[in-house]
Amino acid sequence: MATHRSSRWSQRRLAPWLFLAPGALLFLLYVIIPIGQSIWISFYDWDGLGAAKWIGLRNYIDLLDDDSFYTSLKNNVWWLVLYLLAIPAGLAIALFLNQTVTGIRLYKSLFFFPFVISQVVVGLIFSWFYAPDFGLLPRILGFFTGSETAILADERYATFGIIAAGLWPQIAYCMILYLTGLNNINPEQVEAARMDNAKGFAMLWHIVIPQLRPATFIALVVTVIGALRSFDLVSIMTAGGPYGSTRVLSYFMYEQSLSEYGTAMGYGAAIAVVLFAIMLVFISLFITRMLMQERNG
Amino acid sequence: MFPRPIQKSPPWLQASYKVLLPIALIIWLLPLIGIAVTSVRPSSDLAAGNYFGWPTRFAGVENYTAVFQNSNIGWYILNSFKVTIPTVIGAVGLSCLTGFALAVYKFRFNLAVFFMFVAGNFVPFQILAIPVRDLTLKLGLYDSITGLVLFHVAFQTGFCTLFMRNFIKALPFALIESARVEGVSEWKIFRHIVLPLMRPAIAALSVLIFTFVWNDYFWATIMAQSADVRPVTAGMNELKGQWKVAWELITAASIVAALPPVAMFFLMQKHFIAGLTLGATKG
Amino acid sequence: MAEVTLRAITKSFGDVKIIKGVDLQIADGEFCVFVGPSGCGKSTLLRMIAGLEDITSGSLSIGGKEMADVEPADRGVAMVFQSYALYPHMTVKDNISFGLRMTGHKQADIAPRLTRAAEMLQLTHLLDRKPSQLSGGQRQRVAIGRAIVREPGVFLFDEPLSNLDAALRVQMRTEIGKLHADLGATMIYVTHDQVEAMTMADKIVVLNGGVIEQVGSPLELYHRPRNLFVAGFIGSPKMNFIPGTAAPAADGKIAVTLKDGTQLTLDGRGAKLSSGQPVTLGIRPEHLAPGQDGLKATVKLAEYLGSETMFYAALADGSEIAVKADGLAKAAIGSALSIGLNPAACHLFNADGVAIIHGDLTR
Repeated sequence: MATHRSSRWSQRRLAPWLFLAPGALLFLLYVIIPIGQSIWISFYDWDGLGAAKWIGLRNYIDLLDDDSFYTSLKNNVWWLVLYLLAIPAGLAIALFLNQTVTGIRLYKSLFFFPFVISQVVVGLIFSWFYAPDFGLLPRILGFFTGSETAILADERYATFGIIAAGLWPQIAYCMILYLTGLNNINPEQVEAARMDNAKGFAMLWHIVIPQLRPATFIALVVTVIGALRSFDLVSIMTAGGPYGSTRVLSYFMYEQSLSEYGTAMGYGAAIAVVLFAIMLVFISLFITRMLMQERNG
Repeated sequence: MFPRPIQKSPPWLQASYKVLLPIALIIWLLPLIGIAVTSVRPSSDLAAGNYFGWPTRFAGVENYTAVFQNSNIGWYILNSFKVTIPTVIGAVGLSCLTGFALAVYKFRFNLAVFFMFVAGNFVPFQILAIPVRDLTLKLGLYDSITGLVLFHVAFQTGFCTLFMRNFIKALPFALIESARVEGVSEWKIFRHIVLPLMRPAIAALSVLIFTFVWNDYFWATIMAQSADVRPVTAGMNELKGQWKVAWELITAASIVAALPPVAMFFLMQKHFIAGLTLGATKG
Repeated sequence: MAEVTLRAITKSFGDVKIIKGVDLQIADGEFCVFVGPSGCGKSTLLRMIAGLEDITSGSLSIGGKEMADVEPADRGVAMVFQSYALYPHMTVKDNISFGLRMTGHKQADIAPRLTRAAEMLQLTHLLDRKPSQLSGGQRQRVAIGRAIVREPGVFLFDEPLSNLDAALRVQMRTEIGKLHADLGATMIYVTHDQVEAMTMADKIVVLNGGVIEQVGSPLELYHRPRNLFVAGFIGSPKMNFIPGTAAPAADGKIAVTLKDGTQLTLDGRGAKLSSGQPVTLGIRPEHLAPGQDGLKATVKLAEYLGSETMFYAALADGSEIAVKADGLAKAAIGSALSIGLNPAACHLFNADGVAIIHGDLTR
């Protein structure tokens, strides 16, 4: 009896670790430990093959002197700021589609469509859309302004052109989050507010948006993360050009360390660490909020 | 309930809403419609400058055939499946276990482990890239399907664990307590009570992870070199360089590459959206 | 033999003490009900007996064996949960037999137990249904069936009827009572509904704020409540409490002066008290006689229930009093009502709320 008892007891103690082990070990090996390794590598001068040489903060100091770094950083800020437009835009479309007319389900699916497509394909679609001479957008713009602009070839516009392409699926994502949120709004609260004579924008602002807070939080998380992760579109649409004007930190890092000619592992790692540090600010905010929810729930 | 149902509006507004819907959709999908039309255009149209008019004839069959004949895209798509399907099985399987552990047991580092998964899931890929590529090289798995799958499984386990843990947490805990009072072992509780109830979560995650991994471009680019490993996303970039201005081919290939996740989405729409929006309604 | 003994049991969650020292003896075969307001610790106490919560200090034994380190499954107990905790993906049959199958019982052993439990609970025709296809009462029976097949020494019920409608609740109450008679097992039953407690229990344990207020048979608690809390909790409608003062009088009697000035003389029954000490007089609405001489009150509200009439009235000093009258009694709102008061039915509590005199009509 005694051994039986203790075996059950230890079973309960041991069980979570056994259930966790395979997933957690793999995650440690491929995600958590590499973060530390990258930070470590960023203090070395290393070409990826030969011996690595400790150079302390040299890579970071070099970054401060690198114009490409500032360009990337500036573009990352643009990405972050403009990407946030996906949230109100997604809400607007969700409000537009939150009706029950025939076929509305299909409309909702088709509006969501861009999110399902790979960013590579989105990039190609927009490259075509923007293409000079025959692209749809230059034609439309040309019709109004009289002169056709090759958006992706123009340093002034290229980054914004890429961001617009990125917004397309991101708006779709935010829209679906809000549609689900709207679906779960407490109808009695809306009715009560109607009795209180709240209408239109007042209703939206005071009654609906507060109830959509969970959706807004998730939309914010995925949008911020998406903006800082932007890599695919830059790579597909301009490969950082023209003249490196559309680089972002993630692409800059790729150029330095991972591309065909990139062998500056230490330097690339330093760029990655900077990007990680920026992300860490947001990750900490998100985690803090989730932790608070966890404590309260 | 918000905005006010259109049925309660005056007839003219209802009518204009019904007109506006398809117009808005067409504008929204204009880029997509554009490439779909281009992909069935004969190349002579493009050469003659007929980019927007009605195609002079339907060249879909020849364009799509050409895509498969002139490129390795068939291979690339096969590679994508070879990477994606094992990843889905691996990540969803592992996260059933981790999610169960984190949702059901109280132990000291529970929240710490949970937030390790959550935080890891948010990090930029670039901070993992050099060490992961190194590790894969050392394991002798560089430029192999297995190497890509291992990484994807590990990384996606983060998101999947978040999802599964929250899903199991929402199940009534009395189910587990009741089984414990009956003397059911922990593994059997997992196997016979919790796992069967996780079916909707497994379905939702499977479609989501399928889409995420299928659409991955960064890892496909840095971990695969040869044509018999390269997934279709990385392959598309290569084709773009190869075909340059043959847009009727590029667009056709784009559509082919996008098709599997799109099909997945339309077949499993309910699960897909349930998965994406988990947490959008409570908290 | 499955008697349950609790000695100095306490339970803390962090710094919060939920159970503050409970001593209790439940005899083999007894039907014991834990009752109390929400948050009193009754469910926690039950879950500690089940082994679902650790015991912070004190000792628990079932059938004479110490249970501190014994897993729930090995305690010889079965539990019926408030939510029933039916496995939604299993049929009734599988739900009932699941525990037995998982703990290695042979099919030959499971089948007769299943049949017997199903017959006992009239579930035989429902065995192949899923929980979602059952009514509330049927689900409840499945949950009980799951407990029965384990043939435990002790059944634990955690507010099992709270999800049922009123009519079904009455029916299930008698069914559980019958089951107790048939099985002869020890049953511990948690409820916040004092009517359920009164109708089912051999022994009621009244809990409040993590301590036992009183243990006794239903009638004992009704007639001899030990303090104001029990007096107010047991009995419906609630006992009236009227503040006043008391002083010893001749022949061992006690003179009570209520706040509105009414004078009363009660049988002292040996109680000792000092002159002019503040007291609370307790009297149940059903022991008041409207229309007879006694308290002078004004009717504020009348409820005509057919079988009886409830008057809610106010005394001169504003204290409120509820009176249960014959179903034919009538009084206009605002009219004067004279209320006769049987001294033998009066309870007296001191300033600490402890009973000095029991208005026990049974003696």
